[in-house]
Amino acid sequence: MSTVLFALGSAMILIGGLCDLFGAIGLLRFPNFFLRLHAATVGTIGGAVVPLFGVSLVALGSDFLGSMRYPIAGASAITAIIVLLVAPAGSHILAYAAHKAKLIKWKKVCDHLEAKKP
Amino acid sequence: MEHAFFIVMGIAIPLYLSAIVIYAIRAIRGPTVPDIILAVDCISFDIAAFMAVLAIYFKSVFLIGAPIILALWAYLLDMYVAKLLVSKEEER
Repeated sequence: MSTVLFALGSAMILIGGLCDLFGAIGLLRFPNFFLRLHAATVGTIGGAVVPLFGVSLVALGSDFLGSMRYPIAGASAITAIIVLLVAPAGSHILAYAAHKAKLIKWKKVCDHLEAKKP
Repeated sequence: MEHAFFIVMGIAIPLYLSAIVIYAIRAIRGPTVPDIILAVDCISFDIAAFMAVLAIYFKSVFLIGAPIILALWAYLLDMYVAKLLVSKEEER
């Protein structure tokens, strides 16, 4: 049982590292802010929530931690839930504020938020 | 099992560190304020995940308390900057 938990958690940590790297490359390469927001979501949800759940599984499955594994597993699961709730809300309010302040110049195809204004 | 975890860490540490360095490049180069804030946000969520991995690596309970605070700080930074940008727009 502990071997299964350890293997699953290690795979999640590695997937998280890969998602992190891809999100960082996207954040560097995309041309404007609203496209970079997409890459940042890959970087936060794939790169922070998935490895935090992986850390909690690894901590539950690893015997070399002793009795220390229960606090590590619980705290990392709570952190993963907090990041899962907080990161989309943060990027959403940032996008709303950037659109409202008219800071970003980009080629619009369709802008429903602009059309709603009287 | 500890040995297997050290092998996993040998693959994972360069991935996380290179991601943090690339985010930092965007945070320094970022043309507008929301870009910088987005990059700093990503860096802090990354450091939260990385610190949780390091808590197993160093077998320490004290390292695992920090990521909760770090995630909430990133959200606080978002909210303050968004409020600042919107209030600037309404003054105009």
